[in-house]
Amino acid sequence: MEHLQLAQLGAGIAIGFGAIGAGLGIGFATKGLMDAVSRQPEVAGKAFGFFLLGAALSEACALYAFVVAFMLLGK
Amino acid sequence: MEHWIYTTSLFGHTLSFNLDTIFTMWFAMICLIIFAFVATRNLSIVPGKLQAFCEKIMGFFWGTMDTMIPEQNKQHVPLVASLFLFILFANLMGQLPLRIIHIKQGELASPTNDINLTAAMAVIVLIYYLSAGIMKKGPRFFLHDFSFTSIVMALVEVLEMVTRPLSLAIRLFANVFAGEILISIALGACAYFAPLPIMLFEILVAFIQATVFMMLTIAYIGSATGEEH
Repeated sequence: MEHLQLAQLGAGIAIGFGAIGAGLGIGFATKGLMDAVSRQPEVAGKAFGFFLLGAALSEACALYAFVVAFMLLGK
Repeated sequence: MEHWIYTTSLFGHTLSFNLDTIFTMWFAMICLIIFAFVATRNLSIVPGKLQAFCEKIMGFFWGTMDTMIPEQNKQHVPLVASLFLFILFANLMGQLPLRIIHIKQGELASPTNDINLTAAMAVIVLIYYLSAGIMKKGPRFFLHDFSFTSIVMALVEVLEMVTRPLSLAIRLFANVFAGEILISIALGACAYFAPLPIMLFEILVAFIQATVFMMLTIAYIGSATGEEH
């Protein structure tokens, strides 16, 4: 295969594996939010703020993979 | 995505400026300065609408500082507040229709889609929390005592001095950049209404990323000036 095709393959693999981690992270964060809200419904507003923060932090891992994939494609 | 890079040489060194980033950064700063000037022009004991709104914003910063740094936290508010407001204005600027102004290369979008700007802000945060820790604790900031554990932890902290600004810079840059790529993909699919939900989502992302940058800055300052680290 040529170098460009290999780079495209690598970009696909990078963003795919990165998305696995971020998906797991946001899933766990949602699970925590649901647990907290079903146990104490009055903290829903406060817990949602922390949930957004944690989801943004774990989403960033997929974005690191996205940057790597974009750098691979830009070669 | 691509920038209008102006290259010049000064004393034998090659300097390159991303002109579109500089322009949009100054635009965001001018918006922020005008907002701050208008908001603080007629201060009164009984606040008007604008003053009440700005006092709510300052109350948000002070409340966040109080929850994360227990004591002596008021001195860190200026840096944290200006970082938050600047990132918020810069991210929201990406949704303004500034792209209809054609420039030679690249486009006028949000300035945080350039990694140079976010890396500069991350380095400012690094220098600030290092100097805050050194001013609070002196040389004991680097090495608490001479034991095996603390020497290993000091080496880990030297590693953190690199990884913390790196992750701060890449997180903000990649969020804004990925949003622009998503919008351009949706534009390619159907140019009329397909990008609209993604643009609305980007407004949410602008607020969240500004909050995340501010929270992490406060956490780093708190861990540097706290009792044990």
